[in-house]
Amino acid sequence: MKPIKIAILSLTHGHSRKYFQTLKENPNLEWVAVSAETEKIKNVFLRGNYGIPCYTNEQEMFDQHPEIEAVVMASANDKHLEQFKACAERKINILCMKVPSFDMEEYKEMMDMVEKSGIVCQIELELHYNPVMARIKQLVSGNELGEISAINATNITLSPVWAFPWQNSPEQSYGKRIQLSSGDNRFRGGSLADHPHVFDMIRSLTNSEFDYIYAEAGQNIRKDIQVEDNLLVSGKMKNGISFLFDPSWSRLEERLEVPGPGWEIYPKRMEVNVSISGEKGVLLADCFGPNVYHNGAPNDRYTVQYTYFDEWIGMMDEFVDCIRNKKIPRINLKWHKQTVEAMNACYESIASGNVVYL
Amino acid sequence: MELIKDKKDIENSLMNLLEKYSIQVNGSIQLFGRSKPGVLNLQPGYEFLESHEENNPVPLLTWRMRRKFIELEKILANNVVEEPCLFRISCSASIDKWSLSSILYRELDLCEFIGNGKIVSLQATINESEVANLIVKLDNSILCSIEVSTQLPHNSVLQDRHEVIGRRGVASDLVVDTQVGQSSVYTFTEQGEITYTDTDMELFGFDNDQIDHIRAAFQVLKEPGLIDEWQQQHEHLVYLLNAVFESGKKRQRINLKTESTYTHETN
Repeated sequence: MKPIKIAILSLTHGHSRKYFQTLKENPNLEWVAVSAETEKIKNVFLRGNYGIPCYTNEQEMFDQHPEIEAVVMASANDKHLEQFKACAERKINILCMKVPSFDMEEYKEMMDMVEKSGIVCQIELELHYNPVMARIKQLVSGNELGEISAINATNITLSPVWAFPWQNSPEQSYGKRIQLSSGDNRFRGGSLADHPHVFDMIRSLTNSEFDYIYAEAGQNIRKDIQVEDNLLVSGKMKNGISFLFDPSWSRLEERLEVPGPGWEIYPKRMEVNVSISGEKGVLLADCFGPNVYHNGAPNDRYTVQYTYFDEWIGMMDEFVDCIRNKKIPRINLKWHKQTVEAMNACYESIASGNVVYL
Repeated sequence: MELIKDKKDIENSLMNLLEKYSIQVNGSIQLFGRSKPGVLNLQPGYEFLESHEENNPVPLLTWRMRRKFIELEKILANNVVEEPCLFRISCSASIDKWSLSSILYRELDLCEFIGNGKIVSLQATINESEVANLIVKLDNSILCSIEVSTQLPHNSVLQDRHEVIGRRGVASDLVVDTQVGQSSVYTFTEQGEITYTDTDMELFGFDNDQIDHIRAAFQVLKEPGLIDEWQQQHEHLVYLLNAVFESGKKRQRINLKTESTYTHETN
């Protein structure tokens, strides 16, 4: 297969660096260029010695590299629409970060652009390519737990806002400045906006859509950020399965500008744990465990050193397959729309204090 | 329910990986059975302990592919844990899958791989073919205990622990305050408690030993230079194993002057 010539845009998303190794090692991809939002970000990238040209002007990168066939859109949410336009015009395929847009009109515009231009657009929801999640899907679909009553999950992390400041900007993260609720001094766009995975996962596991959602924000763990970092979500799917999610930034972090060793204060910086209750029994799962553990450098704190992060391999394999073989990705804009709507319903529920029906 | 992966599945998966990553292989390979003339025989090194192969087998140090050991090795190599002084290894297995020699072969290699050194002395206490306790020293002065047993019931999951204590920090593959390894998925149903630990999406459905075998075979085919390195380490491990049983028999510490010869020293 002819390798796909691919670039990364912006480099302002926390997942950007996860692609570096995959883009280097996957023989079906040829990494040709990168664009960085700022000189500072460019310099951080160049220190990695990847041997890939880095531009601070996206237009210049596209002009210099007309061979680009696909991009990883590793940018703030408010950049996505313009980047979608640029890519659709050039017939460049898109791997978009977790939330293309919270504005459903913009979202529809993106869907129309993708359909009209005929490009592939895949959404980066890497949990679909996690082997523990694959096992959970197999057990649930194989009826090992019988009829499911509840699926509860955490998607909790440290807060990335110090390294990726756009995630503390309501306009850049949520797309506009909307107060969390009346009298609240916080705005939409925080940990909920960062954590769509569990909302997507339950749809995939249950083959059902959200019936109603209730969400409540607690007081912030970090007093000095302007978006939410602490909330809980509950509700039911249309097939009666209930759920409780925790999509908080409830693991404290060192306020590093460049993520690296010692970022975490709590030993495990990221967790997706799932519990499923069914008529035949209960399943408990840790999608990112077991690991190895140390209390060494740089901070002498007990720390989880993750042993596997190969979700990006499977995800990029699917992206390549879709481009070369004209397929529609499993996690496409149409599928993902209802996940984003559910997240918006959470914000509505926080604002109103009421259950929101979808 | 899932079908158990067999030898054919393992061979097919290796071929798929080779094709996916465009690795060219010259000649024939085999992953199981007695060596055939002119065929590269890629099996875990302990499979070659009893045989005197004429066909130049490739002993695979398969456990070096396991990600928890790769990360432990990196923690020491990158000085996250500094100046390691003590290495505590424990491994219990069932006799239907492991012999005392095969499990010692694995743990002696992991001791050197994670500890980044060569064993220069060892003292072994052995009970028949069931249990061995070793006190070992590496050439970088790390003192190591290696406890191995083959007395887990048949079909048991291997239980192991690898803990390195340094002047700065401790690293372990067991989480603090626990005695057994964690799994990623637990189900509690009328069938009792069932656990799953899936760590490799490209090889989903294989057990961890099968994954290690496939990954190690892939690695030597991708980097043929590794064949010499692992063949030399195999010879070294065979010498170490002989020294272990001799130490146990004579109740003596044995000092190893080089990687392939050793002298005796009375305690």
